[in-house]
Amino acid sequence: MKKSQSALEFLVTYAWVFVVIAVIVGALYYFGIFDFGKYVPQKCTFTSQISCIDFALDSSQVKVKLLNNLGEKVTVSSATITNDANPPITCAAPSFAGTWEASRANDFTFTSCSGGAYLPKQKVDLRITVSYYSESTSTMPVHKVVGRINGIVKSG
Amino acid sequence: MGLSSQAKAQSSVEYLVIVALTFAIIVPAAYIFYNYSLESTNEIKDSQVLEIGRTVIDSAQAIYYSGQGSKTVVELRIPDNVYNVSILDGRELSFTLRTPFGLSDAVFFSKVNISGISSNCYANACLIPELTVPGTLKLKIEAQNQDTVTLIPI
Repeated sequence: MKKSQSALEFLVTYAWVFVVIAVIVGALYYFGIFDFGKYVPQKCTFTSQISCIDFALDSSQVKVKLLNNLGEKVTVSSATITNDANPPITCAAPSFAGTWEASRANDFTFTSCSGGAYLPKQKVDLRITVSYYSESTSTMPVHKVVGRINGIVKSG
Repeated sequence: MGLSSQAKAQSSVEYLVIVALTFAIIVPAAYIFYNYSLESTNEIKDSQVLEIGRTVIDSAQAIYYSGQGSKTVVELRIPDNVYNVSILDGRELSFTLRTPFGLSDAVFFSKVNISGISSNCYANACLIPELTVPGTLKLKIEAQNQDTVTLIPI
């Protein structure tokens, strides 16, 4: 009788410990402690042909400064932004459009951004696609380059 | 003489605290270093494609100006993220690459007319499927006539 009582007490005590640990771990997960992605530094990654010099994530707009390393003057036909959120971020297309000289940097500013969990002080992961073509090539085939911005949206 | 139950409990708690702290350090560190290694891998592949494109275009231009019948062989190291390679309008050497963010182009512009093997040419585009196979590839660059430099995988 005493043996079974101590065994039961042992199980009950440990069950409580496990329940407490599970609740604590759940609470930490809920508050984003295990979201290690936010400890990764803010970064803008493009290819070496269209390299990213700088970026800024303001409350309602995304600015990115890109450098033309193609060695050729090109024309930008479009620039789009998206992310994996549901629904994804939507922004007005950047004002920059037209000829982009070789070895020149240009600012792409996406305005009126909304949706896609694009909120102040939140870490966001955005994909930017820039489409371009060379007027010196006869059929002017359009090429696209995809880059990524990983950063925290500024507040205010 | 054995330890008292209080001493046993203390050592158990200390053991658990050490294990918990170790995990608290190792898990985030592993995640962050894994992220860094992924970025480095992508940068290396990007550099490899840049090297290939520049080598091919520079060699093609040198061979063109050397005159008809000139040829050279370049050895290329193809990374595993090349999805498609084509010559467009005899002027653009275009690589479509698989990146963590989707398909992205790397384009190299030639000052001289370049072409691929005629059987792989359709309309204004010549495909070079051999350049999508990871590993080492030898590419013959030959000025077969006065106007065009041909890229032939060997």
